[in-house]
Amino acid sequence: CLAMSWVPTAPGVRGGGEEGEVFDEEADESLLAQREWRSQMQRRVKEGYRDGLQAGKAVALQQGFNQGYKEGAEVIINYGQLRGTLSALLSWCHLHDNSSALISKINNLLDAVGHCEEYVLKHLKSITPQPHVVDLLDSIQDMDLCHVSPAEKKIYEAEDERLCENNAEFNKSCSNSLSGVDCSSLECCGTQERTHSENPSLPWILEQTASLVKQLGVSVDILQHLKQL
Amino acid sequence: SAGWRSPREGTGRAAAMAGGQDLFDAIVMADNRFHGEGYQEGYEEGSSLGIIEGRQHGTVYGAKIGSEIGCYQGFAFAWRCLLHSRATEKDSRKMKVLESLISMIQKFPYGDPTYANLHEDLDRIRGKFKQLCSLLNVQPDFKISAEGSGLSF
Repeated sequence: CLAMSWVPTAPGVRGGGEEGEVFDEEADESLLAQREWRSQMQRRVKEGYRDGLQAGKAVALQQGFNQGYKEGAEVIINYGQLRGTLSALLSWCHLHDNSSALISKINNLLDAVGHCEEYVLKHLKSITPQPHVVDLLDSIQDMDLCHVSPAEKKIYEAEDERLCENNAEFNKSCSNSLSGVDCSSLECCGTQERTHSENPSLPWILEQTASLVKQLGVSVDILQHLKQL
Repeated sequence: SAGWRSPREGTGRAAAMAGGQDLFDAIVMADNRFHGEGYQEGYEEGSSLGIIEGRQHGTVYGAKIGSEIGCYQGFAFAWRCLLHSRATEKDSRKMKVLESLISMIQKFPYGDPTYANLHEDLDRIRGKFKQLCSLLNVQPDFKISAEGSGLSF
């Protein structure tokens, strides 16, 4: 029976020292069988892991997609609203032959919103929700299948820290103060790649938009729908 | 002694066969158990990987929709204010199209990728927006920069 050949045989049940040679032969065989059994079972664990990985991923992909989609849409819609508002003002200026100074100002603000939007999207994509890492650690510990070595733990901790830093940086750049950023620096930056610190902040753009609306002689009610920004 | 011996041998063989069956069952069970343990671990790992990968794709697509819908919404709200401030008789048709666009946008579940009429409704919103622009006699240039243009006209 082929299956039986890798069944472990309990040592010590066989006879005493008189049958020395026979005993050694059987011990070797039993050791070999044990080794074969172990490698076969390891192979089964690996096969199971591979199957599980595929199945788990297939189920989670759609779930992750839906989560990311919702988050991306809900965050970015605010930037779209601001851009739409500025576009309306721009088209209104064109219709009413407003000064080219105001028109170029609106265009600059539109560019600034675009940069903000790109920056936020880039960070949305790179941020992994933190609870997930904790869940993963918990589940590994619960299963008690593989013990997380100190080195691995360090990797997870480093990952956590990186995510925290990312979040902090993200919040910082979003709530960037208005000071130190003015129209000229916005213009000189133009289309070149900005670093985080150079990125114009949303509050600054909103403030500029509000002053622009006043200059146009339009009621600031026009910005009411942007309150949630 | 021969007659004594053979029944004993027969019992032994039956016992060995029964033992073999038990052993075989045990092997199959162990086989399944080890596979199951690996599967569970792999499933957890695959779930995390799937969430991360799915999220990355979803964020990009959701951002595209949010950017486009937000643009229409901001544009429509702003123009409603502008038209209200300088109402003339000619503006009633513009207002009607404008209100229709706003209500379409507000009904649109922009955060739900599983919405069955997503493309259909989006096309209707785009059409209404185009109609509004031609009525207003404006050609807005929406710079949709978030990962390629969400506007297809």
